[in-house]
Amino acid sequence: MSTTSAAPLVRAEFKKISSTRLWWGLLVGAVVFSMIQAAVNAAFAGMDPGAGQPATPGLDTPEAIRSVYAMSMFSGTYIFALILGITGMTGEYRYQTITSTFLVSPRRSRVVVAKMLAHLVMGAFFGVVALAGTVLAGAVVIGVRGADLGFGAERLWPTMGLAVLAVAIWTLVGIGIGTLIRNQIVAILLAVFVTFLIEPILTFALAAIDLDWLVKWLPTNASSALMAPGNTLLDYLDWWVGGLVLLGYGLLLAGLGIALSVRRDVS
Amino acid sequence: MTREGLRIDVVGLTKMFGAFKAVDDLSFSVQPGVVTGFLGPNGAGKTTTLRCLLGLLAPTAGSATIGGHRYRDLPDPIGTVGAALEASSFHPGRTARAHLEVMALGAGIDPRRAGEMLAQVGLTEVADKRVGGYSLGMRQRLGLAAALLGDPPVLILDEPANGLDPAGIAWLREFLRALAREGRTVLISSHVLSEVQRTVDEVVVLARGRLVRQGRLADLDSGPRDVLVRTPEPAKLRDALAAASLTVTEDGSGRLRVGGGTTERVGHAAYVAGVELHELVAEASHLERTFLELTEGDRTP
Ligand SMILES: Nc1ncnc2c1ncn2[C@@H]1O[C@H](COP(=O)(O)OP(=O)(O)O)[C@@H](O)[C@H]1O
Ligand SMILES: [Mg+2]
Repeated sequence: MSTTSAAPLVRAEFKKISSTRLWWGLLVGAVVFSMIQAAVNAAFAGMDPGAGQPATPGLDTPEAIRSVYAMSMFSGTYIFALILGITGMTGEYRYQTITSTFLVSPRRSRVVVAKMLAHLVMGAFFGVVALAGTVLAGAVVIGVRGADLGFGAERLWPTMGLAVLAVAIWTLVGIGIGTLIRNQIVAILLAVFVTFLIEPILTFALAAIDLDWLVKWLPTNASSALMAPGNTLLDYLDWWVGGLVLLGYGLLLAGLGIALSVRRDVS
Repeated sequence: MTREGLRIDVVGLTKMFGAFKAVDDLSFSVQPGVVTGFLGPNGAGKTTTLRCLLGLLAPTAGSATIGGHRYRDLPDPIGTVGAALEASSFHPGRTARAHLEVMALGAGIDPRRAGEMLAQVGLTEVADKRVGGYSLGMRQRLGLAAALLGDPPVLILDEPANGLDPAGIAWLREFLRALAREGRTVLISSHVLSEVQRTVDEVVVLARGRLVRQGRLADLDSGPRDVLVRTPEPAKLRDALAAASLTVTEDGSGRLRVGGGTTERVGHAAYVAGVELHELVAEASHLERTFLELTEGDRTP
């Protein structure tokens, strides 16, 4: 890296995102999913699910309030943020705009860095907008149930901030995946497949063979740790370690991508 | 206004795709101040060569430089070299203006220049429409606008006339010639000689990845031209032309083909002999035929 500022390339990346409609569709998806999640969490908080399962924490507990406002936002948004990141890179190959991108910046790794910075900010923006949605939907349902809205709940605001950070880092992970895998469809399917199928199976399998200590290092668990400082029920990493681990996955994928894919021919 | 161009040097360039040699030990150079045509049939390796020159493909061997530098080492890439490759590399959902603004922002160029460039290539009216709805000709113009964005001294355009109508080709010709007159280096590729025949001064002819000919266009067209003549008195004209030591053959379409002379000499001989003529023309340029001969047989099946 030379001393030249990354700012022009980052500005170009923002313009790339804002000048097509994809981000808008993904944001709508994120907000809708987050609001549904918040409403459902608020509606069922403290209810006995039956079948001998313990009741979830009631709306009078900070856990429940954090779950409604912050965790719902994360679980409704992160997959859209991940897709935003993946398409931010793979879309360039799909539409062959990578040619003009690399003509403007023939130092290809700089493009990847600029994309990571721009998408980190876009991810945070997604998180904040979706958070407005969960606060609205959650508060309405809590109000209907006649409980206290709980905006003063313990650690609510820091948790919201960490959820936004987690979404932002997942967007960067998306850039990492797209950097490694040029094909958009393959990259998205693989990412969804890994987070929704491989990770849970791996969690289960590792626990079964007494390798539980490994489980907390998986990306989804690392991001859960990031949002749950001081969680004592589950064996999570410290919140900041979780954040760094998740960031590490993104950087590792991007690094591999730069070494294995980005340098390859563009034709 | 002058914009001193830079030399392009391709030296021993080879590019393999797997076991296939798309460009084979190719060497040529391109000078500033003239329009150079990079010619060859489809599949000859023109695009591959240009992509190597622009740092998009890694050469298997040899080098391709602009002003002595590899593209990726240029301190101000699009301010030095303006390039338009095949006209499909636009996001269909992005407007022409946004496409240029993205490039301008990345290169630290005032994004307002996007509008000026679109005006220059005649796309102002559709500047804010999505590129997905553009015709091939409009995409070509957008590619040209992108190439001009950094006001570069070197222009490299891959098949820029492709998809343009005759009026568009005439417009492009004037445009490129004006840029070359300012001193810039202008390299354009084509697989159809007639598209660029009146645009280029120099030619580099390629077939199957190998250099076939480099030189002035005029030299490629140096073969003698026959004169075609039609008359109601062919026997009398044959005698007159033979007396003027011109060779005469039957054309097959009722005309005589006269070799070794000009229309002036043939007309004069007929006039002196009092032969009535109904048609007198120089045969169409040999250029296209020479081009086909040069590249024929070399064409990949
Ligand atoms: N990425 C690639 N992989 C394999 N073969 C390629 C690739 N790009 C081009 N070729 C082949 O190389 C040859 C030259 O192609 P190209 O440079 O596009 O020719 P031109 O531009 O002169 O029509 C063609 O036979 C083409 O099929
Ligand atoms: Mg080509």
